[in-house]
Amino acid sequence: MKNQANPWLTGNLFVLALGMLPAILLIGALLYFTAWAFAFSFTDLALVGKKSVEWSWVGFENFERLFTRRGFLESLWTTVIFVFFSAIVGQSVLGFLLAATLRGTQSSIRGVVEVCIMLGWLLPDIVAAFLWSATTSQTGLINQLFVVPFGFKPINFINDYALPIVTIANVWKGTAWSYLLFSAALDSVSREVVEAAKVDGATPFQRVWLVQLPIIRPHIATNMLFITIWTFTYFPLIFAMTGGGPGRQTETLAVFLYNQSFSRGNLGFGSAISVAMLLIVGVLSLFYLRMLREPK
Amino acid sequence: MENQPSRLTAIALAFMAVIWVSPFSWLVLNAFNPLSTGQLEIPKAFGFDNFGLAVSGNAGRQFLNSIIIAAGTATLSVIVGISAAYPLSRLRIPGRNAFLWTLVLLRMLPSAGVLVPLYFAAQRSGLLNQLGVIVALTILNLPFTLLLLKNFFDTVPIELEEAAYVEGASLIQIVTKIVLPMSRAGIAVVWFFSFTGAWNEFLLPLIFARVQDAFPMSVGLYAAFGQQGAINYGFLTAFSILYAAPAIGVYFLLRRNMNTGFAGVGVKG
Amino acid sequence: MLRTGFLTTVAAISLMAAATIPARAEVSIMYMESFAALIESGIEKFEAETGETVNAIKLPGQGYDQRIALDLSAGTAADVNLIDSFMVSELAAAGYLEPLGTQLAGWDQFQYYLQGLLEVASYQGEVYALPTDTDVRMLWYDLSNFEKAGIATPWAPKNWADILDAATKLKEAGVQYPFQLPAGTKQAEAATMQGVYMALLGADVPEGDRNRLLKRDTNQWIGDSPALRRVFDLYHQVYVAQELNPADLNYATDIGAAVRAALANDQLGILASGSWEDACLWDCNNPPSREERDAQVGWTPWPGSGEPGTKATTNISGGWTLGINANAADKETAFKLLTTIFDEENFKAWTLANHRMGVRTDISESAEYTADPFLAEATGLAADTTGRDTIPGYQTVSALIQQATSDLLDGVSVEEAIETYHNALVDEFGEENVITYE
Repeated sequence: MKNQANPWLTGNLFVLALGMLPAILLIGALLYFTAWAFAFSFTDLALVGKKSVEWSWVGFENFERLFTRRGFLESLWTTVIFVFFSAIVGQSVLGFLLAATLRGTQSSIRGVVEVCIMLGWLLPDIVAAFLWSATTSQTGLINQLFVVPFGFKPINFINDYALPIVTIANVWKGTAWSYLLFSAALDSVSREVVEAAKVDGATPFQRVWLVQLPIIRPHIATNMLFITIWTFTYFPLIFAMTGGGPGRQTETLAVFLYNQSFSRGNLGFGSAISVAMLLIVGVLSLFYLRMLREPK
Repeated sequence: MENQPSRLTAIALAFMAVIWVSPFSWLVLNAFNPLSTGQLEIPKAFGFDNFGLAVSGNAGRQFLNSIIIAAGTATLSVIVGISAAYPLSRLRIPGRNAFLWTLVLLRMLPSAGVLVPLYFAAQRSGLLNQLGVIVALTILNLPFTLLLLKNFFDTVPIELEEAAYVEGASLIQIVTKIVLPMSRAGIAVVWFFSFTGAWNEFLLPLIFARVQDAFPMSVGLYAAFGQQGAINYGFLTAFSILYAAPAIGVYFLLRRNMNTGFAGVGVKG
Repeated sequence: MLRTGFLTTVAAISLMAAATIPARAEVSIMYMESFAALIESGIEKFEAETGETVNAIKLPGQGYDQRIALDLSAGTAADVNLIDSFMVSELAAAGYLEPLGTQLAGWDQFQYYLQGLLEVASYQGEVYALPTDTDVRMLWYDLSNFEKAGIATPWAPKNWADILDAATKLKEAGVQYPFQLPAGTKQAEAATMQGVYMALLGADVPEGDRNRLLKRDTNQWIGDSPALRRVFDLYHQVYVAQELNPADLNYATDIGAAVRAALANDQLGILASGSWEDACLWDCNNPPSREERDAQVGWTPWPGSGEPGTKATTNISGGWTLGINANAADKETAFKLLTTIFDEENFKAWTLANHRMGVRTDISESAEYTADPFLAEATGLAADTTGRDTIPGYQTVSALIQQATSDLLDGVSVEEAIETYHNALVDEFGEENVITYE
């Protein structure tokens, strides 16, 4: 219905299509590559050696093994905890609160806080891993400031609390993204709307909750989707910090996937793991999509 | 009309900033300690030796390569993204949302699976070089770029475009004079996101580079890992400070754009 | 998909044109940063001697294995490549490496190579690469902690019971890490080589390869055997049943540094590791003097389990190699580069300067080499060594072994760990390629 009223669009369909062409080509390439990754999950393709050249189709064998062999289900549970606490509770909520709070503050405070969270985001993963394991080690900052001065024995955090530590490290590292996206989204809420709400006597909390949140609903849904995907597949920080251990305490699906695909060299099984991950996040994203479609 | 933060908010923010920044003490103390051991300790000596080491060798060339790859990827992603996201936002193409979300989901498939076909395609088209890295990263970014940009274009009120059309503006003028400036914050975010993603990318440049001089800083960082896994922490920390600095600089250059929103634009058209 | 890649030699040529290659390189070489000293001096000599240009590409250790596998399968690899010895058989089986037999026959220095070490770089009786160095494995121990625990030194355990006994005493004396036995997936190959395989070799009689992962005459993997059960039980005793060692060193962000720091701070009792520790103790960049080292640590060979008929001491060796790409344009020149790098003068200087264990008698029997007491003594262990099971699939089996030790660390029973391992082997290689020893 919009279209009919927009002659600058309808009159230029050819130009618009031309504009979409490069993206269509590149997306075609992407679909081609991912089709291979899909197909691999039904093969016994290996990373090196003979089976990397002469692989064969094995049907649903790889998918059966997800449930009949040790590893997948345990890792799935670890991943759910990691994603929920570090991405959804940590990064997303914290990022939004920061964006909403800092929106109205003087630029100096804003600048300092922004730099702080941006530093984590920009630090290479491997360095962030070293930094966090040094911070949580028995001679590290947390023990030296908060444990030893109070007369306790230094705590071996990575040994005793591995999953909470990598979760916190990931909040520290990733909040910048949610913050940036929410800041930009809040900026796109027209000022008149907020002012009008103010004139009508809305409290700051109401202005955020009833006026701004519904408007940036698509951004919230998008952000949830993005960070869920990224955190589900996020690998370098955990791998460098604990390698999935001790034992299998921090073996998220991404680490499990890496171990199966690269250490064990079974790309077929690895692809099956990732297809399963995709299905799980696919279901989650249906939920996010509802959030997008049903504005109050 | 800006509300001043309450004292409580200010204290909470300051507290958060301190917590956020405190782990960096390890980074800084080791970087300026020529005898660094990777432990958190007050250095017995202080000096720039590590930084000297970090900028020696190929660092200059690697820095340039990083800039080329990161800026190239970000710019290409944004150009391709804008020219497709605008029609996607304005034309009622059935199932466009579901399609974009599916694309984003597909990006979950591991780079392990995508890497091999990607490598062979690049080899066949003669793109085992930096242009190849840029194109490959743009392809991998595109689902995210498209979805984000479309969302931002969606928030631009169509009435402004109508008004411009009535005043005789062409499509190109409408896009460049109205839509893009009004989505400046979003575009800046997408550009910055692609930039940092490419800046930190390790595996693709490592595998695509045919000559020593084509490696970016993300590969150079690993010079810190020496024989028998012994790590030169002084080099590692100093190099990573130098490595993160340009990206932070870029953030500050873009920050005004990311936060301007409506301020610089004639809202009434 | 990979098959289509091979059709594209034409594309490979256009690729060469497109890539920004500074000079017209006649021969190319790819290697890891840590071997720069050996290879770069060889390249210099080669360029001076032949007047050719070498296109060298030096990579960090991170991602090296992935890159070499991709490069070789896509036909974009360098002519000469540095390869971890355990990958040689896989790559040779896939046809990516050039067999060197004929060319080696015409090289006068080939006769000095130790036969046992060449096996590591061979596939089906044919040599595909030349080793750069080798290593031996042993138990290091902290002298002051042994004194504290009342254990006589020099320590010479006769069997596993002696080790566990010493570890118990160390634990009672308050040593934080009494017996650091590499375990888990983060330790990667170290868990297999420094841990499981060293124990396995002494866990049963050598007849019929009952003390190995592979039955070599039939190329069948051993999915269950008394030896495997004994080794898994050793892990179970150390990490779970007797709690003789906390697990965390195996998962440190920087395992090497964490272990060395523990040793330097007298927190460690016994460390299962290898000969490289001698050049790298405490701080690889500034190693302590021989006297300082001898005052703080000693070493002893790994004893057998003590079961009847088992070996008294065990050892297994690994190392890196240089091999030639089967698709190299000019294999003569590539081989010339290889032999220039391995030319006695260049090779010997590097071996001595870097405390490597020699792979050739003309180096290991030289006066300079035998003058180093550690190298001389450790080379004694190399006389009775063995290599990994160099048939395709080793890398997979090794990863499965690492996962088994991870599970054991988590408290999984020996029985269940064996079952998981056996099933995974059958998944990978088929029922007919996996056997069980009663």
